[in-house]
Amino acid sequence: MRAARTAYPLKWRIMDALEGVAAAIWPARFRRATPYLMLLPAVLLVGLLVLGLIQIADASLRTLDTTTFQFSDDYSIANFRRALTEPLFLVVAQRSLIAALIVTAVTLVFAFPYAYLMVRTRSPGLRKFLLIALFLPFFIGQVVRAYGWLIILGNQGMVNEALGLVGVAPMRLIYNYPAVLFGLVQYMLPFAVLMLAPALTAIPEELEAAAGSLGANWVRTFIHVVLPLARPGFIGAGVVVLTLSLTDFAVPAILGGGSHDFIANAIYDQFFRTSDQGLGATLALMLVALGSILVGLVFALFGAGTLAMGRSRA
Amino acid sequence: MQEPFRAVASREAEGGREIAVTVRNVGMDFDGVHAVKNASFDLPKGRFLTILGPSGSGKTTLLRMIAGFQTPSSGEIFINGEAVSAVPPHKRSIGMVFQRLALFPHMTAAENVAFPLKMRRRDARTIPERVERYLELVRLGGYGGRRIHELSGGQQQRVAIARALVFEPDLLLLDEPLAALDRKLREEMQLEFRRIQRELGVTTINVTHDQREALVVSDDIVVMDQGEIQQKAQPIHTYRQPRNAFVANFIGVTNFIAGTVRAVSEAGDVSILRGDLMLAGKIGDPVNPPAEGDKASGAIRAEQIRLAGDAAQLSKLDCMLAGTVTDTIFEGERMVYEVACAAIGDEVIRVFDHDPAAHTQFDIGESVFLGWNARDMLVFR
Ligand SMILES: Nc1ncnc2c1ncn2[C@@H]1O[C@H](COP(=O)(O)OP(=O)(O)OP(=O)(O)O)[C@@H](O)[C@H]1O
Ligand SMILES: [Mg+2]
Repeated sequence: MRAARTAYPLKWRIMDALEGVAAAIWPARFRRATPYLMLLPAVLLVGLLVLGLIQIADASLRTLDTTTFQFSDDYSIANFRRALTEPLFLVVAQRSLIAALIVTAVTLVFAFPYAYLMVRTRSPGLRKFLLIALFLPFFIGQVVRAYGWLIILGNQGMVNEALGLVGVAPMRLIYNYPAVLFGLVQYMLPFAVLMLAPALTAIPEELEAAAGSLGANWVRTFIHVVLPLARPGFIGAGVVVLTLSLTDFAVPAILGGGSHDFIANAIYDQFFRTSDQGLGATLALMLVALGSILVGLVFALFGAGTLAMGRSRA
Repeated sequence: MQEPFRAVASREAEGGREIAVTVRNVGMDFDGVHAVKNASFDLPKGRFLTILGPSGSGKTTLLRMIAGFQTPSSGEIFINGEAVSAVPPHKRSIGMVFQRLALFPHMTAAENVAFPLKMRRRDARTIPERVERYLELVRLGGYGGRRIHELSGGQQQRVAIARALVFEPDLLLLDEPLAALDRKLREEMQLEFRRIQRELGVTTINVTHDQREALVVSDDIVVMDQGEIQQKAQPIHTYRQPRNAFVANFIGVTNFIAGTVRAVSEAGDVSILRGDLMLAGKIGDPVNPPAEGDKASGAIRAEQIRLAGDAAQLSKLDCMLAGTVTDTIFEGERMVYEVACAAIGDEVIRVFDHDPAAHTQFDIGESVFLGWNARDMLVFR
């Protein structure tokens, strides 16, 4: 009895039963259609997105009549002209773009040692600690976290109180550009580490030992072996951080205090403050275009990295 | 402080050659696991040493300590007479070929071979010529531009060898780099190693669990088991004069017949009694010889036993046993017979039949006689 159970465990029996049920519902001759069937949810989702995009494209071509609060029936490119000429939008776009680039660079620099240590450490305790520390922010959520920074860095915040104790006058630590950048880096770090770690895991440790025995100290091992091989991870992490920062809403809203808006905040204002959905839609489309161009540029210059799932380069 | 060590470490070897590597009382503990215990040996310059042992016997650990990737828990390693425990790998002049090669996948074959030269800041103008020369040495001339994944397994192996040799290291370390190859290619590469090593005269330590490889390529073999060195000797001595039962059993196909020692002579003759059967043999380990009354076993190799259908044919041999064939295994160049012998409680003795003239063939169930000479049976405690 016992021998039979270990030879053919319960798990296998359950699987057999499930397979039997599956075969009754979906006979083998339909099998060729199975892959397409499994793609269906994804196709539906993307399809909905495309529908929404068409809707937005339609809205972007209609102008708002400020006296009647009605949208025009005929199409015009007035919204696009406004978006491209009004200094406010250019400033916002420039601010978002520069922030995204700075945040990406700084995040990658900070994320790499963290990911490297997490992957290479021989101590299981340290690895667990680093992993938990990595996921903790995900449980807390972006808004709460940004709000937490207010508590810490605000005018009556913990930092200023501590400074007060040693006789330093309170400083304005938030509602400025560096505060937004700081908040974004802190928010992006776990994403970057998560994207870098698999790329580092894929580099055999033996390669580093080999570089050592061939005469490379750790700096040169890092430059000539680890860095080039970690490149797919850098590209993947870079693209994710770049697009997430470029389109971020909560951090500039809370830590920028309305004076350091990003494109997403400007779009929000158009939709929900001035109710100019036409202009909001225009800005949204331009954000999509900007993001696509940036990602396309990265892929064209460096290949798709880990996002291409191992088919990156010859 | 180091003076006495250094004086001893750089002494001349038996052959008058300088010592390249000295391993002295080296041990390695991994949280209570003794991976290597009190290992000591000297390796003269230019020699090819193979560390042979079963899986988990501590071969890789010993090699990694010599390479500098791990620091011994006890003992000291000397390279060219210098204690090296404080010297990091990149400052030791050691070329290593790893078990999984560890070629850099983002570089071409030539870039891989050039890597150690660049890291050692050799004159950039001489590098291409030198790289090509070493690629030619491993018979890969013209393949320099290929990426690693565009090369076959055997070609990758050669790139790894060229990369380990190109900077003319004092010492070449090989950690089972041939284990993954098919048998034909492996045997080809074994001879290749031998050729290159002789051509360059580089001191080499090779790790393997393939006894054939050890016998074919080495000047000396160190046999390891459970972290301990069992024997260090030239291949022919390792095979013909194993120092203990482990070595006798690990290399070659060996039959053991257990018994009680009855007599030991000055000249090294021993006889052991098994039931009613008295077997004559020689002392296997002179350092640790058996004494009368000890439990001991006689070791006799499968190829040193002759097999015949009638006893008269074996009359010139010292020992004879009757038995019944229980299995025959055809291995191509030879036939292996398994023979159960009544006199030793039906224990099975394995015999190689390599008689090229007679081509006699025995079938399962047939009664046969086994015979051998007393000097071929080694008795171990
Ligand atoms: N880093 C380590 N931590 C703990 N134990 C280890 C470590 N490395 C090796 N060991 C143990 O030390 C012993 C010797 O290992 P080693 O790798 O030297 O064996 P080996 O002779 O090279 O075997 P193989 O032929 O399988 O490669 C084994 O019992 C192994 O489990
Ligand atoms: Mg090993």
